[in-house]
Amino acid sequence: MSDLFSEPFEEEREPQKEDLAPRKAVRRVLSVSELTAAIRGVLESSLGDIWVEGEISNCRIWNTGHVYFTLKDDTAQIRAVMFRSAVRYLKFKIEDGQHVIARGRLGVYEPKGEYQLMCEHMQPQGLGALQLAFEQLKKKLKAEGLFDPARKRALPALPRKIGVVTSLDGAALRDIIKVLRRRHPNAHLVIRPARVQGETASQEIAQGIRAIGKIPGVDVVIAARGGGSAEDLWAFNEESVARAIVSSPVPVISAVGHEVDFTIADFVADVRAPTPSAAAELVVAAKDDFCGRIDGLTQRLQSAMIANVQQRKTRVHALTSRRGLAGWPGRVALRGRHVAELTFRFRRAAAAQVHRHERVYRALRLRLEARDLRRRLAAIHGRLDTVDGRMQAAIRRQQDRAQSALGVLASRLETLSPLAVLSRGYAVCWNADRTAIVREAASLAAGDHVRVTLHQGEVACEVLTVEAPSRES
Amino acid sequence: MDPTIKDFESALNELETIVKTLEQGDLPLEKSLELFERGVQLSRFCHTKLEAAERRIEILNERGEVRPAPEDLGLDGGGAGQR
Repeated sequence: MSDLFSEPFEEEREPQKEDLAPRKAVRRVLSVSELTAAIRGVLESSLGDIWVEGEISNCRIWNTGHVYFTLKDDTAQIRAVMFRSAVRYLKFKIEDGQHVIARGRLGVYEPKGEYQLMCEHMQPQGLGALQLAFEQLKKKLKAEGLFDPARKRALPALPRKIGVVTSLDGAALRDIIKVLRRRHPNAHLVIRPARVQGETASQEIAQGIRAIGKIPGVDVVIAARGGGSAEDLWAFNEESVARAIVSSPVPVISAVGHEVDFTIADFVADVRAPTPSAAAELVVAAKDDFCGRIDGLTQRLQSAMIANVQQRKTRVHALTSRRGLAGWPGRVALRGRHVAELTFRFRRAAAAQVHRHERVYRALRLRLEARDLRRRLAAIHGRLDTVDGRMQAAIRRQQDRAQSALGVLASRLETLSPLAVLSRGYAVCWNADRTAIVREAASLAAGDHVRVTLHQGEVACEVLTVEAPSRES
Repeated sequence: MDPTIKDFESALNELETIVKTLEQGDLPLEKSLELFERGVQLSRFCHTKLEAAERRIEILNERGEVRPAPEDLGLDGGGAGQR
């Protein structure tokens, strides 16, 4: 408290307490400004951060964005203001008649000597106010066109993975799993756990929807919560959840509470399921449809083919029996011949058809055989054998060629042989030990022995005289 | 899988067309046999696609990882804190 107030300022009221310590007489006259400043000091310091409950009246929104209003109860009222910076964070619009709890501090407006509550935050009280916020958000999102049926996407025919955003231990998840187990045992679920009630619920749900939409293969998302009071389901009425659903890359099914509960999520979701179980049924219903459709088509395919063949059989039968009728006694011969001719042509046509089919069959078999490994191996073997034979022949030919070349060479060699010269009457004279051929008479002396090779046989001779050619000649 | 079959949706549509054509009759036997064979192929493809998914339950955690869910998840009496 300010010291000012601990000081007496009215002399008259001061009791006579002369027995106590002698004191200085104080008399101070305050200016209005001083007093107001003092009041401001007291109010602002002693009533710093307060919560006030009351009903709103005289609400006016200034074009600056600040909201001025009066907060009142049965017997009192107080002026209040909420500045634009705080108004921004309110979920609902402040309107007359709303019952709220406001948090703020007291401020004194000195020029007018007025005090007012400066609100920083406000909470609506009771269901009425929640309903109000709901209606307000609904109106806003609808104006943006987010409820437009044209914006809603169809569920995938065959969901590869089903994304679920819900509480891990809630009834909603149990219901979904139960239905899937019964209806479609091989469903692939990806669950993103999220608190579905309480302060952080909307944030967790919104984050979950965003996160699970990004998982590859997830092509539908169920945002689910079991039944509860309107307050329990509130997270699904928050704008953040609605925005997450709208911006999800894959279709979102809202499955909140019971059949009668409608949330903002239901309005913006691509499909609204009355309950979590129903959401699971919706997801697999398409699959059941497909199973039925395919089975039906397969059956029709078969019966159409059977009918097709049957029809032909009947026609053939009809034709052949007509031929039989034609041979009935009493028919003219011409007719008989005609029939015979027809029969002949029929047979020929049939034979031709058989032949054609056989050709197709052969061609197919050939193609098949071409692919047959064993046959290919055999072909390779055959080719190898051929190559082998050709190689051997080639070698043989080469050998023959070599042999005849050899013969030619041998005969040529023979003509060069000195022996051939000897046969013509020449003789070769060797020295005595037959190591050198004697080419000059001068290399010999009378009495030397030489050997002479003739065409047939050899003779040993003794030199009688040496007649060397004269040097001059 | 057959490369001439694009996806489930188109396979189903083609099968439908084939069945209708066959049901109208007036086709040469070869042609109808050919269609029938294609139809059987398509029907098989669709069935395989339908049953292709594998039963699995996974959990996407805070860190963005996908992990297998506990065995007893979602079973009555399983898991703590039923509500």
